[in-house]
Amino acid sequence: MRRSLFTLLTLLVLATVAVAKEVVIVTSFPKELFEGYKKAFEAKNPGITVVINSKQTNAGVTYLRETRSKPEADIFWVSAPDAFQTLKTDGLLEKYSPPKEIMAKIPAKIGTFPIHDADGTYFGFAVSGYGLMWNRNYLQAHKLPAPKEWTDLANSKYFNHLVISAPSRSGTTHLTVEVILQAYGWEKGWALLLNSGGNMGAITERSFGVPEAVVTGQYGIGVVIDFFGLSAIASGQPVDFVYPSLTSVVPASVGIVKGGPNPDNAKAFVNYLLSEAGQMVLFSPDIARLPVLPDLYAKAPKNYPNPFTTKLGGVDFNDALSSARRDVVISLFDHVITFRHAELKAAWESIYKAEEAVGKAKGRDLAQAQSLIAEARKAASQPPIDEKKASDKDVTGAFKSKSGLKAQLEIEWENFARANYAKAKELANKALALAR
Amino acid sequence: MRRGVDWRQGSLMWALLALLGIFILYPVGRVLWVALSDDQGRLTLLHFGNFFRRPLFREALWNSLLSGVLVVLFGSLIAVPLAYIGARYEFRGKIALQTLSTLPLVIPPFVGAVALQMILGRSGMVNLLLMRWFDASIPFMEGMTGVVLVQTLHFFPFIMLNTAVSLANIEASLEEAAENMGCHGWRLFRRVTLPLMLPGYIAGSLIAFIRVIDDLGTPLMLNFKNLLAAQAYLRITTIGIDDVDGYVICVVLVVLSLASLFGARKYLAVAEYATVQRGAPVSRRLSGKKRAWVLLFIGLALGVSLLPHIGIVILSFAKIWSFSILPTVYTLDNYVEILFRVPHFVKNTLLYTLIAAGLDVLLGAAIAFLLVRSRLRGRNLLDAIATLPLAIPGVVLAVGFIRVFHGWDFPGIGRPLTSSWIILVIAYTVRRLPYTVRASYAALQQVHVSLEEAAQSLGANRFKTYWKVTVPLIAGGLVAGGLIAFVTSCVELASTIMLVPRIELGPISYGIYIYMQSPLGRSAGAALGVVAIVLVGVGTYLTHRVFAGRAGTAFRV
Amino acid sequence: MKPAQVKLENIGKRYGEQWVVRGVTLQIERGEFYTFLGPSGCGKTTLLRTIAGFVAPDEGVVYLDGEPVTDVPPWKRDVGMVFQNYALWPHLTVFENVAFGLRERRAAREEIAEKVKLALEQVDLKTTADRRPSQLSGGQQQRVALARTLVIQPRVLLLDEPLSNLDAKLRAEMRLELLKLQRDLGITTIYVTHDQEEALALSTRIAVMDRGSIVQEGAPREIYEQPRGPFVAAFVGKSNLFEGSVTRVDGRAAEIETLEGIRMTAALGPLLPSSPARGARVALNIRPEAIAVVRPDDATPFSNRLPGKVLASAYQGSLVEYEIECSGRSIKANVINPKGKPLFHRGDEVAMVFAPEDVLIIKTESPIA
Repeated sequence: MRRSLFTLLTLLVLATVAVAKEVVIVTSFPKELFEGYKKAFEAKNPGITVVINSKQTNAGVTYLRETRSKPEADIFWVSAPDAFQTLKTDGLLEKYSPPKEIMAKIPAKIGTFPIHDADGTYFGFAVSGYGLMWNRNYLQAHKLPAPKEWTDLANSKYFNHLVISAPSRSGTTHLTVEVILQAYGWEKGWALLLNSGGNMGAITERSFGVPEAVVTGQYGIGVVIDFFGLSAIASGQPVDFVYPSLTSVVPASVGIVKGGPNPDNAKAFVNYLLSEAGQMVLFSPDIARLPVLPDLYAKAPKNYPNPFTTKLGGVDFNDALSSARRDVVISLFDHVITFRHAELKAAWESIYKAEEAVGKAKGRDLAQAQSLIAEARKAASQPPIDEKKASDKDVTGAFKSKSGLKAQLEIEWENFARANYAKAKELANKALALAR
Repeated sequence: MRRGVDWRQGSLMWALLALLGIFILYPVGRVLWVALSDDQGRLTLLHFGNFFRRPLFREALWNSLLSGVLVVLFGSLIAVPLAYIGARYEFRGKIALQTLSTLPLVIPPFVGAVALQMILGRSGMVNLLLMRWFDASIPFMEGMTGVVLVQTLHFFPFIMLNTAVSLANIEASLEEAAENMGCHGWRLFRRVTLPLMLPGYIAGSLIAFIRVIDDLGTPLMLNFKNLLAAQAYLRITTIGIDDVDGYVICVVLVVLSLASLFGARKYLAVAEYATVQRGAPVSRRLSGKKRAWVLLFIGLALGVSLLPHIGIVILSFAKIWSFSILPTVYTLDNYVEILFRVPHFVKNTLLYTLIAAGLDVLLGAAIAFLLVRSRLRGRNLLDAIATLPLAIPGVVLAVGFIRVFHGWDFPGIGRPLTSSWIILVIAYTVRRLPYTVRASYAALQQVHVSLEEAAQSLGANRFKTYWKVTVPLIAGGLVAGGLIAFVTSCVELASTIMLVPRIELGPISYGIYIYMQSPLGRSAGAALGVVAIVLVGVGTYLTHRVFAGRAGTAFRV
Repeated sequence: MKPAQVKLENIGKRYGEQWVVRGVTLQIERGEFYTFLGPSGCGKTTLLRTIAGFVAPDEGVVYLDGEPVTDVPPWKRDVGMVFQNYALWPHLTVFENVAFGLRERRAAREEIAEKVKLALEQVDLKTTADRRPSQLSGGQQQRVALARTLVIQPRVLLLDEPLSNLDAKLRAEMRLELLKLQRDLGITTIYVTHDQEEALALSTRIAVMDRGSIVQEGAPREIYEQPRGPFVAAFVGKSNLFEGSVTRVDGRAAEIETLEGIRMTAALGPLLPSSPARGARVALNIRPEAIAVVRPDDATPFSNRLPGKVLASAYQGSLVEYEIECSGRSIKANVINPKGKPLFHRGDEVAMVFAPEDVLIIKTESPIA
């Protein structure tokens, strides 16, 4: 009995040691996607096992950094292009040129955004747009119209009905935030983000928390990457999805980890991903991503959006800018929105109440109340730093050192937010008192 | 002869100390060091200063303490009456009460959070009904309310089981003597029963408190981030392993847990049980009105605490459950989906947790043996280190392991420990060690040394004595401790999530987490949760069988 | 409070189908020291707990001072009980333990302090007031338990084998102390024990119990000297039990032949319930200490003389215990104060001599007509 147990243990240890032909993939994609590709790739390449190490994007970046002395992964495979930018800067990605016949079919750009890295360290295999998904039952029950644009998120009638995930936790949300900041400019962008932040019912820790909350009807409208909406629709959930007019279509990419244990298998996987067969997998209803091969859309399911023909975009996404200020933006978002959500929400609730009271009180001179409200709105829409400072070397550098400057900045931002939201609430309450 | 004894015990102790040092002290020390050093590797308290200067962290600290206290408070309101009823009254369905009331421990709290969301959430069953009937809703699950609610329902059994053991150990005559002196009812409870059950109650509350401030899954699932554990996790996984704030928070968590352990230490020494161990306490038959009230209370308490289970079962059969009281489309697909995976998740879970439980039993028995039977000078240190994991959050241990074991090939495995499943086994073993140590300690104390001496005087050598006399006598305690280690490891997420090297190597709790990560996998995750409930439920049931309803002794600290 | 009279009427208690106490009726007068004596499982503790109110009888009524209290809960009976394991509360000091009952009675602070001090003095424990029970020796714990009960001046004092956890020497000391204390206070006391010496030494009256019923009730001397039936004879004191039949009745003496064929003469005392007739079957008891052991050729005044062979002899200082074989059975004989008398060893031929007055007829069955 004891001997057989020992044998079993030895076998198990050996089984994990005797590394078969593998390709180890670090990915943030949902199960449906990596499972679909695992099955398809393994069928095409018998003898190679796809090993998945599921990590959320930022955790994946951290993981590759931590394991650089002896990399354990072959492939890095996530949505957010700036994560690849970061890894490339750190020298963690291997250069590769996929076969010409594959690359020839893929256009160089989607909109204004280059699909592949110019230096050949990562390759777009699908494109994604960002947009809004909503629960039809929920909106009907709460008598709300469907949203169309980012600016709709700031509408007072959506107060407490929205959901987003924190950009610090979700690479795709970070991209959405960057799209908004680049589309509307720093100041206006933050004003929109702060106002819609005040309308959020919840700020989830996981990107999947958003579609989950919308699908279950915990909240009505969520800010998501397109395939969350598309796949939910495909599976019969009572939800809809829309791309706002100002958006960016950004490639989701794949890159080979420098010094990974199975370089040949890694190349095979990248080739497969970009091949026609590999691209077709994206059309499966539970994956629902947009391929980078324009010709393939002829074979797409009905009503499938084609980013190469329909006009999507309108924002020239600046990848380098996004990547450079990434740490600052996500920390800023956390400290003025995520962690101060209760205060932000309270401020906007007061503002809406005051506005409603002013709107109802006809015929009286409410100029003072109106100016108080305007001031309150301003206080609740201000970012603590300007665009220049966000890209400042000292500031971005603070996030990579133990000097304590980062803590100091974060304290400043937090206190700034606390003070502003308290002020906004107070002003709005004053206005409300005047309007009554 | 005498010298021989000391030599063997001594080397055993040094071996154990070395082992615990490598797998507990060193990793935790590394985490500590990050928090205490600057860029140049010099010792500094700057980061701690910053911690207390930051309003966010002060708020998180306050929230963590508050949620711990609230969970203990509300948990006590459920747990103490249930424990008292179970220990003092005789009625039909008592065994059901004892089994059902441990069931909350069976599901990982984060799964409970998701399920409870479907029932009590914003658009959950209850609120949809309230909106339909009264056009009103109750924010059960918003912010910290939700966190405290989920955690109370999950952790109250710790208080209950410990209190019940304490109550069962109070000899009947102590209460009878008070009745004889004219004391009864509430006064009797306050003046005699309460002070006597305090050790168990405090131990249970302490475990609940520590587990609450360490709990990561629940706040993350409910999107409440201003808590210490959540902040530590967010910091370490977002900004990276070099983010010093995450480590500072880890250290604060450890200090908090240690402080509470230390503060309650006089209640925690098993030896301090002052009751005279003779004569079983009397159970009274319940009848009439009192019986009705008691059953009503049990029904209510258990009904509420089993809500997450109900939610999970419904969810596992749901295809579409969107803004409706019950799912609108049902399916069996979720079970079909997971059935192909279950063998692999279940296999992993069983493999890891059974090995960990086995190791815990061995280590626990060895440590308890030294604590009870030897007079070696280092045994207090051994005791302290073996108890330490109670105070170390899973996140901290996991981070420590990554720091220590990553990047170099572990001898005998041919690759870093962190890329092998063995790291999970080690993490579980370390995390649950205190349970088996305590269980074996309690069991060993019941075995009088003369029983061993009798065997030796009849010619059995030391090993044979231990094997033939001591082990059979303490087997119940060992098995129960092992089962507790098994059961609680099955639902362990905090360290799992950070240490799983690849998805194929994930245990069931990780599987649920991954399923819950994909928008359409929620129901499949719930189905996997049902499997986990069954799996762990069987474990809990076995614990009860072995321990004859006194499973609580193993949950003691 | 004034000591009370206790009356039990046809008390019965069963667990499941098993009656542990049945048909017990008795009356204990004020100030008595009354003992339930019997082997373990005879129902004596159940009976005591019935009086305290911890056990609700299935049959019968308990009266305190003529008042039925069967349905009165323990905390209203005002009956003090000392538990076998003392049941001292480990979380309270000695002082707090003793003060407990007074606090329950809402006594004033000064009164409590005064009374507790007195009670502790009474049991010789002045200096231990601030200690915890676990810091006391067994004898001290026992006395705290006693003080705790006495301080509330209960109507009846119930003692459940209070000396059984003490070592032999301490037990003897405490026995005397208990005796003095009870006689001083004059409190009605009911005592439960399986130790016949304790019962004989302390009690004014004893009830010997067997399998849930009282088999004999009486003063210690009566119980010892006139046991009714072999159970009492065997349980109270040491005994040599015989069965046999009466071969001849001669005025105040009867000649008896035991089943083993031993012949002896028994005096027919006035206490005997009925004189046996010739041919009647009888049970006999001879106490070991009534038998003298002499050399086979020694002359003695006693009319009963049995030859025997020593099987075992144990010298104990104040007495020698012998086991002697006679007509195929063994007979116990205790020679008290053996100083100056011969000492016999295994294998020695001896004679056992005893007076007819020491041959007690404990049971008589009339000859079958």
